[in-house]
Amino acid sequence: MILLAVKNFVRSGGVRIGLLFLLVAGLASLLVGHQFLNRQQTAVADARAFQQKDFRRSAAVHSHELGLLLYYLKFSLVNETSPLSGLSIGQRDVNASVQSVTIRALEGQKYDADLTNPTNQLLGNLDFSFVLIYLFPLLIIAFTYNIISEEKESGTWRIVAVQSNNLLRFVGQLFLIRLLTLLGLLLILLALAVPLLGIAPDASFGLFLATSVLYVLFWFGVSVWVASLQQRSSVNAMLLLGIWLGLVVVLPAIVNTYITTRYPVPEALATTLAQRKGYHEKWDMDRTQTMTRFYAHYPQFKHNPVPDSGFSWLWYYAMQQLGDDESATQADELKARLLQREAASRTIARFIPTLHTQLQLNDLARSGLGNQLRFLDYTSRFHEKKRLYFYPKLINNAPVSAERWDAFPVETFTDRAPVGYVGVLAPLLLFILGLAGFGWVNLSRSVYRL
Amino acid sequence: MKALRPERLIAQQVWHTALLNRAVVYLGLFVGLVVVYAVYTGWATFRKQNGLRTTYQQQARHDWLNNPDKHPHRMAHYGHFAFRPKPPLSMFDSGMESFLGSTLFLEAHKQNAVNFSEAGFSTGMLRFGEISLALVLQLLLPLLIFFLGFGSIASERETGTLKIVLSQGISWRQLIVGKSLGLIRLMLTLFIPIMLVAAVLWLTGQAGVVSADQVVRFGLLALAYGLYLSMCCVGAVLVSAVSASANVALVRLIGLWLMFTIVLPRASQALGSALFAAPSKVAFFDRIQDDVLKQGDSHNPNDPHYRALKDSLLAVYRIDSVEQLPFNYSGFIMAEGEKISATLYNRHYDELLAIYDRQNQFSRAMAFLNPFMAIKNLSMALSGTDYASFVDFGRQAEQYRYDLAQTMNELQIRSISNRKPGPADKPAVIDRKHWEDVPEFRYTALDVGPVLACQTISLLAFLFWGLALVYLIRKLSKTLRAV
Repeated sequence: MILLAVKNFVRSGGVRIGLLFLLVAGLASLLVGHQFLNRQQTAVADARAFQQKDFRRSAAVHSHELGLLLYYLKFSLVNETSPLSGLSIGQRDVNASVQSVTIRALEGQKYDADLTNPTNQLLGNLDFSFVLIYLFPLLIIAFTYNIISEEKESGTWRIVAVQSNNLLRFVGQLFLIRLLTLLGLLLILLALAVPLLGIAPDASFGLFLATSVLYVLFWFGVSVWVASLQQRSSVNAMLLLGIWLGLVVVLPAIVNTYITTRYPVPEALATTLAQRKGYHEKWDMDRTQTMTRFYAHYPQFKHNPVPDSGFSWLWYYAMQQLGDDESATQADELKARLLQREAASRTIARFIPTLHTQLQLNDLARSGLGNQLRFLDYTSRFHEKKRLYFYPKLINNAPVSAERWDAFPVETFTDRAPVGYVGVLAPLLLFILGLAGFGWVNLSRSVYRL
Repeated sequence: MKALRPERLIAQQVWHTALLNRAVVYLGLFVGLVVVYAVYTGWATFRKQNGLRTTYQQQARHDWLNNPDKHPHRMAHYGHFAFRPKPPLSMFDSGMESFLGSTLFLEAHKQNAVNFSEAGFSTGMLRFGEISLALVLQLLLPLLIFFLGFGSIASERETGTLKIVLSQGISWRQLIVGKSLGLIRLMLTLFIPIMLVAAVLWLTGQAGVVSADQVVRFGLLALAYGLYLSMCCVGAVLVSAVSASANVALVRLIGLWLMFTIVLPRASQALGSALFAAPSKVAFFDRIQDDVLKQGDSHNPNDPHYRALKDSLLAVYRIDSVEQLPFNYSGFIMAEGEKISATLYNRHYDELLAIYDRQNQFSRAMAFLNPFMAIKNLSMALSGTDYASFVDFGRQAEQYRYDLAQTMNELQIRSISNRKPGPADKPAVIDRKHWEDVPEFRYTALDVGPVLACQTISLLAFLFWGLALVYLIRKLSKTLRAV
């Protein structure tokens, strides 16, 4: 009988069209991911090429003045793109993966927006996470909404009930056929992604895979539960689509709007203004004051005075430094606010599987806000390192030629923040167990109701 | 009122049966709740953001004016900020707002990025969309209409009442028009209150003074959405008319909705950005720098362009060193450098915009296949939350930046001595009263005329869909069968 059920499922035209549609969308999403990764690579290669070319050229033009040269030189830093981000592009198309900073005040440079076409972002990426989160559930709904109800409506359910030894098991098998088909498609897509995107089969990928599988299982849980309510096919379809609409369109949009209105970031604007003022007003202030505060920040340089009048590069960079120091409060508030946003999103997402899955896939692909914040932190450390490397050279009037300008390669930041298994999988597992368990208990009670 | 009598009767029947269905009432209430939330957040965001931006704009201006006597070039680097104001209709349709930056630092020699977009600070949830009245009208109401209309004719076919209706002398055309009118009436009971709420929001966003331009924008929006939703009603009835059963009609309508609103927009944009690669930020600025250096490097004392300029000055004034010039030489050089770099930047920026435009052409042309894209683009444009408005802001800000830098260069040329002051001399500064010479930055929004000119395709698509539906009603009226 189960063999017949398989044949019946596979032979229906709608199923084949649906699977083909999902396969095509999935393949397209892999190509989109592939292209995304290529563009990231190009951006990094561009940055490397530019740094090499520009350092050489600038060092030749400003060969007599290290301070002036450093005014221009932009040191690039790359946020490493994980191949997994080809599957879940997340925020990586908004936030630049390459930062280029001079050793002047950082706050005015740190949040520089990337060059992007906002229409691409508005309409959204057709990446694997979209196919998984939006389209897989639709096929699950289409394949399962009438599993029992259609037979009841056409009058064949009684025959099935009489002929089957274990009706509940039979219903389970009907779901299983569909589940295995869709999981098979999911695995094919991810298996193709491994060589195409150059994904390493590591723990992150394992967790990515597990999350995807659990997400599909979640939707099967939903459809088992809906089937267990023993309604007509059309009611089932409406109910399932309503849940889909709620979980994929309406609730996420409401939550997003809530987060942005609940946690606005005026600190961003305050930081830039404070930074500009903090630096520029030092030109009109007594330079001993500036230097006292600079030496308080860096006691190691306090035995290196600057001349009372005339221009001095150390004084110049001390003024720049104070621009950062004086906007530090606002910058810290900005960071705290963004961390709050991130934490609030996560907490709410635990109760909305679609959001949870998207955020976790982004986390695993290192393409979420968390990764961006860590990259910004690393940018600050990178910037500090460059400052501390060059300040002594400015003090000692080191000649430009003493530095090997080819020896400043573009640095790469690798995000190694751990992603906990429990936090990723537990919310989905709980939903699945709850829905499927509840549905199954319901079904076992009502399955013989003919 | 004899005209359209049967049509009106049919329409009334649609209205009554729909209201008998409790699910319809609940769905209507649900939409109402979403509307309330959309209105509240739209208003709160608008007030908060514009409040902040106005405050910081004033603060930046205050900081600028409060500078003491300074060297004008220091002031050119002090620079100014342009905060992009949110348009009043952003409360109705947030459009691209969240993906566009709000803050632009304007300084000499350098075209900065417009920073701090909501998207940059987003956790990734933003990609699911944002609640706004436009979202309700573009996505949720059509779905509700499809839900109300899927059975309009197909159910009658299934139950056999269709034969009876047709045998009583009602023509197919009367039936389709009547059913459509009934659906449109249902739609209007939600649409009109939503637009009234939108009108209130829109009025509060303008602080009393309503410009003719804004009235045209709002009127066109109301008209466009009315048309779009009416088309959805007619579409639902037509699909129902050609479907053998109500279930089939429902599946078809939901399939269409999914394709139109979820799949096709992404697919068309993915195609556009796959075919036309935009340069990375580093490469973009690298090319500009290359071009600028080709014209001349003002920082390089041996640069041929600037040496020629210097030689010609020396020849004209018959002097042997620039220190003898009657005006400030380095100010003159910087003005020349600013002119060259700004011209080249604008040229490259136009090229970049052309690439973006090519990337977007598929989703724009998609309006002929997908009425959702037509209304989405038109609505954003009329609300002032589209890319064209953003680019316009960027251009006005860049013009302001250029003028600011050149004003400072001019002041330097006129008022700063060519000789570097010694330690005993008065420092090379000018009086702070000159800071008032630079007017405050004020953004003037685009007029509706040029906005509509950018939306020709969307407007044509509307026309196309209107004609296509009329044609389909005529054609199907002749070919449809009762069973």
